[in-house]
Amino acid sequence: MSKRPLPHVNSVTKPYWDGCTRGELVIQLCRNSACGKYVFYPRVCCPHCNGGDLEWEKISGKGVIASYTLVHRPQHEAFYQEAPVCFIAVRLDEGPILYSQLVDRPANVELVEARVEAIFQEVAPGFSLPYFRLSGAAPKGGVGKREP
Amino acid sequence: MASGSYDGVFVVGCGQTEYTRRTDKAIQRLIWEGIDLALRSANLPWKAVDGFGASCFVLPPDNVTVLAEHFGLTPRWLFQGVYGGASSIIAMLHAARAIQAGDADVVACVAADIFDVAMHNELLDRFNTSMRDYFAPYGFGGANGVFALHTRLYMERFGATREDFGRLCVAQRTNALLNPNALMKKPLTLEEYLSAREIAEPLRLFDCVHPCCGADAVILASEKVAKNLGVPLVSILGGGEQHNYPVEDIYSLRGGWEAMSERMYGQGRCSPSDLQFAQLYDDYPVMEFIQLEGLGVVPRGRTAEFLRSTDVTVHGAFPINTGGGQLSAGQAGASGGMIGVFEAVTQLRGEAGARQVSCDRGVVAGYGLVAYGRGQSSSAAILARAS
Repeated sequence: MSKRPLPHVNSVTKPYWDGCTRGELVIQLCRNSACGKYVFYPRVCCPHCNGGDLEWEKISGKGVIASYTLVHRPQHEAFYQEAPVCFIAVRLDEGPILYSQLVDRPANVELVEARVEAIFQEVAPGFSLPYFRLSGAAPKGGVGKREP
Repeated sequence: MASGSYDGVFVVGCGQTEYTRRTDKAIQRLIWEGIDLALRSANLPWKAVDGFGASCFVLPPDNVTVLAEHFGLTPRWLFQGVYGGASSIIAMLHAARAIQAGDADVVACVAADIFDVAMHNELLDRFNTSMRDYFAPYGFGGANGVFALHTRLYMERFGATREDFGRLCVAQRTNALLNPNALMKKPLTLEEYLSAREIAEPLRLFDCVHPCCGADAVILASEKVAKNLGVPLVSILGGGEQHNYPVEDIYSLRGGWEAMSERMYGQGRCSPSDLQFAQLYDDYPVMEFIQLEGLGVVPRGRTAEFLRSTDVTVHGAFPINTGGGQLSAGQAGASGGMIGVFEAVTQLRGEAGARQVSCDRGVVAGYGLVAYGRGQSSSAAILARAS
């Protein structure tokens, strides 16, 4: 089996990946007082106000599942044995979307808008990725966000 | 002349190779064949080409400049599509502006690829840094996984069902059976669509394009050149491109079309109700729903209802993807952004054979360049039979 694809770490993204390996979710926060938004993925500037002054901050690691899929045909053979992969978009409580996998997925539970929390798993020696697990029941009736 | 009009430019030719699962041909040969077919339909020789635009994923390490050298062209205008499936409409619109400005007289715009499932997956794993670093390490399933997320949200937010997406896929297959270049040669029933193998829930096999090999091309020319060719002429009534829209909201289930629509219809002095067909970018049916809504053909969130009451085959009231689209003709990589342009021009020239629809005006849309969770680039144009 071929090796799983891994991120390329560079000077911009290193604080994020270092945080993951320590078991902490550390993302960027815009220091522009008129903006002050959280930023993910790691960037050279704030995509909200376009300013270049970002600091790193440890965040809660909590959020909700914005959407999910069960991937029966992963794009890379390294994942074939663990298929179906529960691939999720997490809307972090701090605002940004972060993509990951849901681990320990229970059957027959509504997942959209379900609350999740980050955990960390080593995927290569000295290198961890954030994954998520459910941290509470989904609101009754699932997504409650249907447009008229 | 309406503000921003494309007056003075015509699409004078179009070409499409047969789509095949595999090919022994070099990509340069496929590209040449696409352009050669289009030039023949325009009654123009290769030596007339002084502008050249190309979109092709497998072209590197070559590029459009190297292709021009390979073919023996000496263009004074070049374009390379870097907008994924939005590239070919953008190529056509930029070429039209160059012709209006006198920077070129005859522009060949081509898209082609030699693709299979493995290459498609490998491409998306390293498509850009955001996909490589934040998607690929999670076994996200390639483009299927990305658009499964949008499809699930569209279903939850607007009450669309698998049957609604299926109706569109089945209609496009009906159209593809009348297109000799299409990859898919067998009918598709709604039952077969619903029970197909699961790929990335809620997507099943027939929600996904079949990567393949092929080329599509169009030729644009100035009015001075076009009027003497003796071929049917197609006008660009309006067009636009929009990138990273809406900014900051990946899951709005919108795309750039709603941002460009007002200006585009203003350029063409027309409205969505004047359109007689739509050639949509059908990487996934949910994106066709979002395009129909963004282009103002259907109110937001109402495409499922529209499809329950409207026959969108070539026999129906509002034909969509009259050649089968990528879902049934195949996705020849970057050609997926040109197949709709080829099909629109073919229909407006009255050369669509068994799949010909009665039309003098229609819309074509493009979409592509998946980065951090959605396609970044949208494009569209209104094309019309020249009066």
